[in-house]
Amino acid sequence: MTTSVVASRAADRAHEPSWRQRLPKGGVLFSILWLGILVFLVVFADYLSFIRDPDAKVRVAGRLQSNYKLGPGYSAWFGVDGNSQDVFARCIYYARNSLQIGLASTVLGLLIGGTLGVLAGYFRGWIDRVISILIDCLLAIPALVLAVMLIFRLDDIKATWTFLGWMTRKWQIIMTLSILAIAPLARIVRAQTLSLREREFVTAARSLGAKNGRIITKEIVPNLVPTMVTVAFTGLGILIAAEGALAFLGLGLTESWGFQIESNRRRLEKAWWATVFPCLMLLGTVMAFNLLGDRLAKRFDIREAAV
Amino acid sequence: MRYFLQRFAQLLIVFGLVSFGVLLVMRIGSNSPEELAIKLYGGRPLSPDELTEAISRYHLDTNYFVQYFYWLKGLVFDFDLGQSVANSRAVADLLKPRVWTTVLLGLYANVFGMLIAIPVAVRQAYKRDGRFDKAAGLMTFVGVGVPAIVLGVLLQLLFTVRLGWFPLIGDKIYPWDDLGQHVRNFFLPTLTLTVPVAAIFARLLRAEMVLTLQSDFITVASAKGVSPARVLWRHALRNSLFSIVTAVGTNLGALLGSAVVVETLFDLDGLGSQLVVSVLSSDLFTVQSFVAIIVLLVVSVNLLVDLAYALIDPRIRQMRSLG
Repeated sequence: MTTSVVASRAADRAHEPSWRQRLPKGGVLFSILWLGILVFLVVFADYLSFIRDPDAKVRVAGRLQSNYKLGPGYSAWFGVDGNSQDVFARCIYYARNSLQIGLASTVLGLLIGGTLGVLAGYFRGWIDRVISILIDCLLAIPALVLAVMLIFRLDDIKATWTFLGWMTRKWQIIMTLSILAIAPLARIVRAQTLSLREREFVTAARSLGAKNGRIITKEIVPNLVPTMVTVAFTGLGILIAAEGALAFLGLGLTESWGFQIESNRRRLEKAWWATVFPCLMLLGTVMAFNLLGDRLAKRFDIREAAV
Repeated sequence: MRYFLQRFAQLLIVFGLVSFGVLLVMRIGSNSPEELAIKLYGGRPLSPDELTEAISRYHLDTNYFVQYFYWLKGLVFDFDLGQSVANSRAVADLLKPRVWTTVLLGLYANVFGMLIAIPVAVRQAYKRDGRFDKAAGLMTFVGVGVPAIVLGVLLQLLFTVRLGWFPLIGDKIYPWDDLGQHVRNFFLPTLTLTVPVAAIFARLLRAEMVLTLQSDFITVASAKGVSPARVLWRHALRNSLFSIVTAVGTNLGALLGSAVVVETLFDLDGLGSQLVVSVLSSDLFTVQSFVAIIVLLVVSVNLLVDLAYALIDPRIRQMRSLG
């Protein structure tokens, strides 16, 4: 009995920070349910009869429910907003943008940041120094400030360089957010690569005559996958929150939770529902991704990854 | 001393590269000096006189490096950050009254964050796995993840709309002008910024405390009869506080990012909200200078944190200057 307690203490110490192990079991359940239902509603929004057209005006018994007239209830689950549009329908349709932007920018950020991190960690030397300085510089600018600046300039740069014509507003946001993700991801991947390259299987591969390219693709990268998946989940939550913040500041999409909050928050007194429900959607989604990332970090024993 | 110089050189390199990068981002995408001048002046058509004046004033016909050095020279010697086009005022005049809002918010968030986090984390580590630990663990998890907009709006709904304790339209009033009004206007923004900071601090400190409490010198202290409270607050806490000091530096970027949102949400006129206003009115000079000043803030706080670290713990000073 005593020995097992001591042993579990020692194990705890290895799995730091250990408060994670005491998260309620319901956490992961909540994330899976929330994200599952949200994705289902988002994908089939056009076919489900209880989700209105987000731009349609809500009428009850033929009368237009204008100017926040209808609170949350049977006819409109989350109430109506100032333009007598259904808040619930808008929340669901806008989740499309949030999820797409979050996913695309995380993938882009992982590709670029991961490549930089692997190169820096594997080759060391001047490559490492250059990439590390680049990461330091990116981290010196507060993420949201960087995003605000980049989004602002992308419009103009797009207008001058015609080959960027395909870049819609959505793509601009995706590019900006993926640039935000590069620096923290590159740093984490670099640290992991640094420790991986000293491991026996890498030495073994090298002594068998494997080239650098082969060692990276066959030995190092497969071992980075758990870290990358874990960081991707936490990163998704953070990037979705950042997308909401940009939209809130009036720099993102207008079809977004953040913009919903911004356009209704001045009427908080009159109609709390038009602001609070988008807030809760954002909160739930961010938390769901965070919980999953947290769970995976515990599962793969990855130390606190500061994204 | 060598360590200090190293860090200072690093600061200068990062600041130089970042501010040059910002200038590049602001200037890129123009085909001629004339086009650039028009863009810098907010996109309105300029008369030939104004054009030549703008080009000669900001040396727009030279390459980016030369422009950058003129900008840097102006910043260092005259604190001349250029002209804000939207307000037709010097950017420096726009900047000065707003710096304090952001600096105060950041300061409050860090100070109150520590004041909340330290007792919570110590209690958590003391009764590990107890009910308090679990509850606080869940709360800090939510606190770390909650987006600033969501927290801000919910707090506004509760305290301003429902309870009516705070004014709905804020205004930046500094403590040296009117302390009571300052507290009323800054309370909710500070709270919004403090929650994530306190949660991050508490998580880090708890993890560190749990490790420290298992080390030998704690066992020795308890064995020789030092009271549990003294062991906890003096011996263990002192050796765990470093994690918080580091976090002040690493978390500053995120804090200033949320400050942009919070200043806008609570109508506090600060660096962040002015940055957004300038961006929306395509005021390139203001944006460039504001970003540079914010970066300078971040880099210098990080330097201070590193120095504090080295001052507190001589081992680190030794280690770093040797390695």
